[in-house]
Amino acid sequence: MAPIKEVELDRVYEAPVDAVWSAWTDSTKLREWWGPDNVIITDCQVEVRVGGRFFIVMEAGKEMGAYAGTRWPMEATFTAVEPEVRLAYTAIAWTEGQKDETQIDQTTEVIFTSEGVKTRVRVSAAIHRLGPKAGTAAEGMRYGFTQQQEKLALYLSQKSS
Amino acid sequence: MVERSESLTAIFACLSDPTRRDILRRVAKRGLAIGEIAEAYPMSFAAVARHIEVLARAELVRKQRQGKHQLISINPGPLGSASRYLERYRELWEQRLDRLGSHLKTSNEGNNDGTN
Repeated sequence: MAPIKEVELDRVYEAPVDAVWSAWTDSTKLREWWGPDNVIITDCQVEVRVGGRFFIVMEAGKEMGAYAGTRWPMEATFTAVEPEVRLAYTAIAWTEGQKDETQIDQTTEVIFTSEGVKTRVRVSAAIHRLGPKAGTAAEGMRYGFTQQQEKLALYLSQKSS
Repeated sequence: MVERSESLTAIFACLSDPTRRDILRRVAKRGLAIGEIAEAYPMSFAAVARHIEVLARAELVRKQRQGKHQLISINPGPLGSASRYLERYRELWEQRLDRLGSHLKTSNEGNNDGTN
């Protein structure tokens, strides 16, 4: 079945491929970058083998106002693991307490290409099924972002006065 | 399409006000009467009612009559629709990959410290 949404992204990082691979597959490193701003990673389990588990729980920080404390787990299984070359997984993600309405079924493939001291990362991510209230997570993050912008504006105005 | 961007503009205009965000936070857990909400703020009942009116126009809250009172509760629709998630999907990934970039930069600088 064709996915309902597909995105492809292409980035080149100033880091060798082993470092980029490690950032994607080491749970300690994943915790540092996976979530959006204002989100804490409260659980992260990565079993890097085909059929292995990739489990991450994001929790909205207090900056997110009404959404603070909301937890967004992702439960995934690796479908391809080729060290420093390719990583693929199928996943479900949801808002805790509203699994039926918010569940998102997705697949992600990440291709790593070494370009000397740099690394090209290509991500193909697709959504195959989406619960009617799946937007809660996305809007929670935007809500937090709006507040951040306001804090920044306030900070800047205090600095200039 | 135009209609949709207008409603988004209304939502963001609405959320730009700290009192309105705070009201939204209060009614997120359970419906509250206007009087209960108004007690929490150092402003007139009418001023709080006006903020609630703005929230209602942006469809961020619902008003439901319950006996003598009108209860205000959050309307998750505009904020929680699945379509909005689809609109944001690329943006979420872009942000994630930006953060990966920052992470790689920081850990790389950490390594260089030892060798330089």
